[in-house]
Amino acid sequence: MGHRRHWPLSLFLLIEIISILMPLFILIVWSLSGRWPWPDLAPEALSLRGIQSLLGGRFDILQVMFSSTGFSLVVAVLATIIGTMAARAIVFYDFRGKKLISFGSILPIIVPGTVLGMGIHVVFIYLGLSDTYLGVLLVHLICALPYTVAIMADITRAVGNKLEIQAQVLGVPVGKAFSHVTLPQLLPGILSSLSMAYIISFSQYFLTLLIGGGSVKTLAVVMVPLIYGGDRTIASAYALLFTLSSLIVFGLFELAGKKMK
Amino acid sequence: MELALRNISVSLSGKEILKSISFSVGDGDLISLLGASGSGKSTLLKTIAGIIPQTGGTVMIGGAIADALPPHRRGAVIVFQDFRLFPHMTAAENIAFPMKMRGVQKEEYSKTAFALLERVHLAGYGKYKPQEMSGGQIQRVALARALAASPNILLLDEPFSSLDENLRQDMRALVLELQREYRITTILVTHDRQEALSMSDKIAVMMHGEILQYDRPERIFESPNSREVADYFGDAIYVGGIVKSGVFVSDVVRFGADRPDGPYQAMFRPSSVHIGSDGNRAFNIRRTSYQGESYRIALEHESTGIILNAILPSPCLLRADDRVSVSLDTDKVILFRDD
Repeated sequence: MGHRRHWPLSLFLLIEIISILMPLFILIVWSLSGRWPWPDLAPEALSLRGIQSLLGGRFDILQVMFSSTGFSLVVAVLATIIGTMAARAIVFYDFRGKKLISFGSILPIIVPGTVLGMGIHVVFIYLGLSDTYLGVLLVHLICALPYTVAIMADITRAVGNKLEIQAQVLGVPVGKAFSHVTLPQLLPGILSSLSMAYIISFSQYFLTLLIGGGSVKTLAVVMVPLIYGGDRTIASAYALLFTLSSLIVFGLFELAGKKMK
Repeated sequence: MELALRNISVSLSGKEILKSISFSVGDGDLISLLGASGSGKSTLLKTIAGIIPQTGGTVMIGGAIADALPPHRRGAVIVFQDFRLFPHMTAAENIAFPMKMRGVQKEEYSKTAFALLERVHLAGYGKYKPQEMSGGQIQRVALARALAASPNILLLDEPFSSLDENLRQDMRALVLELQREYRITTILVTHDRQEALSMSDKIAVMMHGEILQYDRPERIFESPNSREVADYFGDAIYVGGIVKSGVFVSDVVRFGADRPDGPYQAMFRPSSVHIGSDGNRAFNIRRTSYQGESYRIALEHESTGIILNAILPSPCLLRADDRVSVSLDTDKVILFRDD
């Protein structure tokens, strides 16, 4: 009986394994395969060609990966801080144009990326921000903010300010009341927001290339042409590096979250 | 510390919630804000604590104007109706929190938190999280935490309304005990008239954002200054009549009254209604209802239909439709002009 009661859960798990872990597994196999002609179920031969090309390519790929990770972490942290503050303003305060700002915060999702990118590019050229790290950082932030604001607004609304007010009347100043009482409650949202902003930045290809003009090399910028290049073994090796490095970062987020609790 | 309110008015989103409220609470006194829900009691507490800014008037704490002080510097601690324990902290950490934030040394705040836990009869519960405690225990932690903040003014927002009756009695006794022990100026918000009458040094009856009367419990109950106040305590019986040349005359009672001539309503409490079996048996018993230690009797005057209520101790031999005589004790009667 117990077994039957849980069958929807088991089914869900199975679907999850098939749809998430299987592609990852195939990615591993592909990146290690020498030749894998259709319609064979297994590769004809294994080879380290993919890995060698990954590590010994035109770029120092590990250095690109680390700098790209660091860059996206900065975007994630900034987007989450701004998202948290914007969410507080939207949820707790009444001000003129509040609806407009709420709507404005999701505009970058509604407007197609190319249109958005072209517009921003023109402005950034005027401001001298194109082809700079700062420009790319800003454009990544613009893309990540709608998500972080939405995530943080939801959890801010759910947590409310009742506990913070309680802390204040107990004699605790506003800032301390926020950091000791509200922040721990917001932690799950902060982790989601960090992860979301990180992956948006880390996987951003088009806007990075457009605004960075090739001088800002992130893993996505280096990787995408190779994936379109048609060599599946090499493409898989890059994709694997991309996926694993993201997973490690998410794992670190989770770990940091648990430590803070 | 003494608290004084001078002409406090509050409007929220264009609606006037509090209208020119003035009263003061003596140092170490406990007063009740009594009124129905929606009368503005909780808003007044929040205004005193500095959470809701007033649109007019002044809050004075300990003789000093507190209007410009933010909530955390007023020393007016609210224990909210929903207690609001911090869910990520244990009971002891909750109590220690205000002291810890004030910069008290760990050893000292741990000791005080432990002592306070004991004081609210929760010794041994220090390591429990709020989710693991019952409503009554949570409330006691909330109370201990409020005391740990060394408040100038303690504001209790309907603190007993979510507890069941037995627990409520215990909590009232505990609150009174602690309030006397720490001599904290306290405002208790309640809609329970028994609670207000039994616990307070003074009662402020609130309705529609105004204080109708502010006085000692006995005075409020026995000499209400308006029908609204009298009605809030329930059980008021009104007999209509006329005062002429210093005498109140009605179909059921007649007594001397030093008032200008005119129509009046005479208010009696059930305790002033005495049932007898001699003389003119002009009343019919409509209903008797058992109240435990007493019976509540509804009487109807046979010719005018005036209804009176009386309380008789149990056991009671009277039944519905019995005819009885009634005398009214006019010592505590109150006359309201009936225009």
